[in-house]
Amino acid sequence: MTGDLAVGKPVSPEDTVRKVTGTALYTYDWDLPGTLHAKLVTSIVPHAKIVGITLDRAKEIPGVVVILTGKDMPFRVGMYAGDRDLLAVEKVRWAGHPVAIVVAETLEAAERASELVDVEYENLPAVFDPVQALGPDAPVLHERMEEYKHAPVFYPVPGTNIANKFRLVHGDIEKGFEESDEILEDEFKISHVSHAYMETQGVVAQAFRDGTYEIWTGCQSPFVVRQIISESLKVPYNKVTVRVPFVGGGFGGKAGLGWEALVALASKAAGYRPVKLVLSRKENFASAASREGVVANVKAGFTREGKCVAYKVRFVLDAGAYADYTVNVSRAMGYSAEGVYEIPNVYCESLAVYTNKIPTTAMRGFGYSESNWVLEQVFERAAKKLGMDSAKIRRINLLRPGESHTATGERVREDVGDPRKVLQTLTEAIDWEGKVTPPSEPWKVRARGFALCVKGPSQPPNASSSAIVKFNEDSTMDLIVGTGNFGQGTTTALSQMVADQFGVAVGMVRVDPLRDTGKSAYTWQTVGSRGLFTDGVATLRACEDAKKQILDLASQVLRLPASELEISEGTVKAQGRPWVSLPLKDLVFGYVYSNGNTVGGPVIGRGHYTSSLNSYLDPQTGQGVPTIFHTFGGTAVEVELDLITGAIEVAKAAQVFDVGKVINPLLLKMQLDGGFVMGMSIALFEKIKFDEQGWVTNPNFTSYYIARMKDAPKEFVTRYVETPQFDGPMGARGIGELSMISVASAISNAIYRSIGVRLNNLPMSPEEVWSAVSAQKPELMEKAMEAYGRVETTMKVRP
Amino acid sequence: MIEITVNVNGRTRRRTIKDNELLLDFLRERLEVRSVKAACWRGECGLCTVMLDGALVKSCLVLAVEADGKDVKTVEGITPEGGLTPIQEAFVNHGAAQCGFCTPAWVLATHELLRKNPHPSEADLTEATSGLVCRCGTYNQIREAVAEVSASTAKTRKRVEERLPRR
Amino acid sequence: MSFGSPYTTLPDFAYHRPKSLEEALALLKEHGDEAKVMGGGVGLIAFMKERLMSPTHVIDVKDIAELMQVEEVPGKGLRVGAAVSIAELLESGVLRKHHSVLHEALSRVADPMIRRRATLVGNLCEAIPWVDSPPALIALGASVEVAAPGGARTIPVSGFIRGPVDIDLGPTEMVTAVDIPVVNGTRSAFEKFTGGSEFSLASVAVVMTGDGRKRQPVVVYGAVNSIPVRSPEVEDAIRDGITPGSVRKASAVAGEKVECVDDVLASAVYRRHLLKVITAQVLRRMMV
Repeated sequence: MTGDLAVGKPVSPEDTVRKVTGTALYTYDWDLPGTLHAKLVTSIVPHAKIVGITLDRAKEIPGVVVILTGKDMPFRVGMYAGDRDLLAVEKVRWAGHPVAIVVAETLEAAERASELVDVEYENLPAVFDPVQALGPDAPVLHERMEEYKHAPVFYPVPGTNIANKFRLVHGDIEKGFEESDEILEDEFKISHVSHAYMETQGVVAQAFRDGTYEIWTGCQSPFVVRQIISESLKVPYNKVTVRVPFVGGGFGGKAGLGWEALVALASKAAGYRPVKLVLSRKENFASAASREGVVANVKAGFTREGKCVAYKVRFVLDAGAYADYTVNVSRAMGYSAEGVYEIPNVYCESLAVYTNKIPTTAMRGFGYSESNWVLEQVFERAAKKLGMDSAKIRRINLLRPGESHTATGERVREDVGDPRKVLQTLTEAIDWEGKVTPPSEPWKVRARGFALCVKGPSQPPNASSSAIVKFNEDSTMDLIVGTGNFGQGTTTALSQMVADQFGVAVGMVRVDPLRDTGKSAYTWQTVGSRGLFTDGVATLRACEDAKKQILDLASQVLRLPASELEISEGTVKAQGRPWVSLPLKDLVFGYVYSNGNTVGGPVIGRGHYTSSLNSYLDPQTGQGVPTIFHTFGGTAVEVELDLITGAIEVAKAAQVFDVGKVINPLLLKMQLDGGFVMGMSIALFEKIKFDEQGWVTNPNFTSYYIARMKDAPKEFVTRYVETPQFDGPMGARGIGELSMISVASAISNAIYRSIGVRLNNLPMSPEEVWSAVSAQKPELMEKAMEAYGRVETTMKVRP
Repeated sequence: MIEITVNVNGRTRRRTIKDNELLLDFLRERLEVRSVKAACWRGECGLCTVMLDGALVKSCLVLAVEADGKDVKTVEGITPEGGLTPIQEAFVNHGAAQCGFCTPAWVLATHELLRKNPHPSEADLTEATSGLVCRCGTYNQIREAVAEVSASTAKTRKRVEERLPRR
Repeated sequence: MSFGSPYTTLPDFAYHRPKSLEEALALLKEHGDEAKVMGGGVGLIAFMKERLMSPTHVIDVKDIAELMQVEEVPGKGLRVGAAVSIAELLESGVLRKHHSVLHEALSRVADPMIRRRATLVGNLCEAIPWVDSPPALIALGASVEVAAPGGARTIPVSGFIRGPVDIDLGPTEMVTAVDIPVVNGTRSAFEKFTGGSEFSLASVAVVMTGDGRKRQPVVVYGAVNSIPVRSPEVEDAIRDGITPGSVRKASAVAGEKVECVDDVLASAVYRRHLLKVITAQVLRRMMV
């Protein structure tokens, strides 16, 4: 390809202009003529039979059109566990469980009426702790689990609170421990986390009398939403159209079941008028799904040379009242247990457990952040125990491309990436060997730490993507794909690839911001960092298909074999004789001869991609190929810990990833920076708190704190490695989730390396850190307080 | 019910509103100015930020009736005819918007900061925007965008290229 | 105590914008406990969304000239009217001379946009355990001027706040101002810790008037309990002056003697530790 290529350039996402001028419209902004407003009525008790629901007082509010309860829709829906009801039927399973939906002319009327719906409950014993929920006497949340239509790759245990049981068996774990010189054991706890996307969940839905449904929703998986609505409302897929305008953040929280089927039914019941439901922030915390809590128990064995020869871990996921996507997360948490390392003997059990708390779902990282929190800290502690440098112990154990096998028995390909190079680049980026500047005060500690990670999309083997490249009369192109855009800018990267295929300016290619199951090419879901990869391959194949059509037509016109023609700079040219050419404009809508005779017609390139290489996992041992690529990477930080308050400040950060090929360095930077901030926020601040009734006690942004500008480190180094993936689009791999996975571990490792305090629990809030230091190194805390007490001069007054 | 007259983005708008109506909803629902968003409805996130008589306020905590006789500006009101303000350009160039839901509020806040203080320090920027949140974490890109606009000379203006990831 | 509203609209109410205090009081007389007074609206509107308060009459006092003053009133001190926003008050600089503790507390309330609307009186009347003006006002010995159709009364801020979101204010009463004594030679300072939260986990206000044997320290802790708590023990520790030794003692005493609670933001154990830190921090600044 000659000319100025778009791939590799920092092209700004084309929709930014709409965003900075306030003209990007989200579901929150979407209105149709005659839209009615809906409000949920939610449970106030964690586990109870619904004795009766009285609607009289509510119906008296002027403007109320209809009120539906679970009795009106007594069926179950789900993608994986099949455990979900649209509204509570017979019983409520968490405080916040929707029991009714009020539809009214105005939002005010709907809210007023929702306060007047009377529900009578008969309390049942509840369980809030996942370990307790595993006990023999624990109340069972889902008594009819055996009736649930779950995906065959999940293994719920009816009669218990186990929504899924995953097991990974690799080698002989007991033999591994026998061969170990050092054994480490510990327990780690991770709190529930909210996605806290800025645009709360919302749906506008309209049912039509011809049996069709139109849905506008800020979701990551419109094709799955369509499937759920079709199957639960018993209509053909092509009678349900799901449209996705701009989405104010997803992060996995909008990938699973939402409110679409419920609102569609509400529209039908409300006389086929459009109905709009937008959750308030409290409702989003208390009634929508969040990321699960985890209790992990690990036992690892190392030889004195630093080789990890045994790794045994049990993950108990606090999945809440419903676990539709969480069963999949539990599986991924399990098969990601060994991370970037080659460990000959691995045993992992991962259980998704029901409790009477908010339901849970996927979140950016999908179980890998959680398994990373355990694994990377174990390695850091092993390094210390063996008197070995943190980087050295990693090098000894890293998966070797072309040689190793993963714990699921997958052969690690030669083109998988270069973990050694990643590690080397990461240590350079944070100046690992260099001196750490002394802390700003004697009661503070300044330290560096890092952690490595790896991830690929957790998708079923038949997850596919497709793409259509459509030309317009002026030879501009529309790229039609299913992958959504919630800020990652994937479609910009895809446009760059298409532009280069035809040698045209990137502005000649456009991807419409709206997704529409009736008009967009199919893609499985926009999750798992798969978009650039899967939809990218489909896109390149669509380009090849378009090029073939163009060259076939050009060959007729130019009277030359197609094999002697090529496309560059927006033109078809004869190889070696560039003066024999035709502009694309003259070909993409058919060629018109001077006498008016026309050959050909609109060029429509199509392509699809389904990975041929991944497989189901063995139900007993978890062996198989779970994912389609492995992006290796890592995070390094330099932190300052204020011992006397426990507050951790990240002074510097570095992120390095082997992305295969950098399609757009600006998009890469946005992911690495943004993902770091989100990962750091979760690591240091975020915890959904519950009271003894399972109520969320901090459903707001003052006590559920998310990072603000003052928390974002200013010194930030981002670097990449490019080991091309042979089956990736131009060699690229995905990055979307990766930038979050190793952040927490890196911070914790920095603290552990410097003062030997184990921070097993997330978040590492000031109180959590202070407690850990006080308990594990009381003398260190005393010294810090003494040093603080010795300061006699005026301290700097904060502005 | 009360009739109010508000100058919104340079145009006089007169509407009959409810006493309990919020300025946020007046703008979004009655006038269909949809650039103003809401994410928390409690004044914590700042996405509902508008200019009221020249001051940045959180419109989810202001009653519509309080805007009677006053001047309201949203991001539409600062965007010039057929172009973008320097800060909007800078947001575009530096990738300072990801999902974009918080972007109008940040544009208003940084635009106003730069108008009052053409060369804000990092601390000035952090303090001025302490009432705003961005979940996608674009803070560093916003810092760069503001730094570009406030750079005194072309020499001190760091180009986008210099801040990209390196091999 | 937990905040977060499922509702995004407000309950129905009639909005009033009286032009005089007399008019406002007449409205209060007529509507009694169906009415609530609104200053900046930041607190009231949030409470209304949560249905913690559902008045059918809202009386906006921002047009009442008598309530907009910031001035020294003989016998009363610095009077800050109910309609004065925190930003206005800070920008006037009037607090810097004798009331640094309040200036410091207000400088870090929420964010600049909230401070532009929120009033000092409103912040005080919210009486949420974690707000910052109450401990500073109590330490300064401030009082609240309350007007009612039948007359007016003055009550110290310490008595005015009875519990979380619970103030000593009758249904036909409204707060017209906060009076803060002006005592020459007052030194004061405020500190707080907000790690991982927008609200304070612990705060302290220290006011020192007089010298030598006439030295009067007042130390009030905020955010650690449901209402601000004064600590006579910490005051005793610094009665003879703020020195490195007395700072150390005060810090230790603060951690032992001040009653703290567990709540959604922090545990009592951690708060007791934080008190040691912020007590030392605030006293050191006052030492020079």
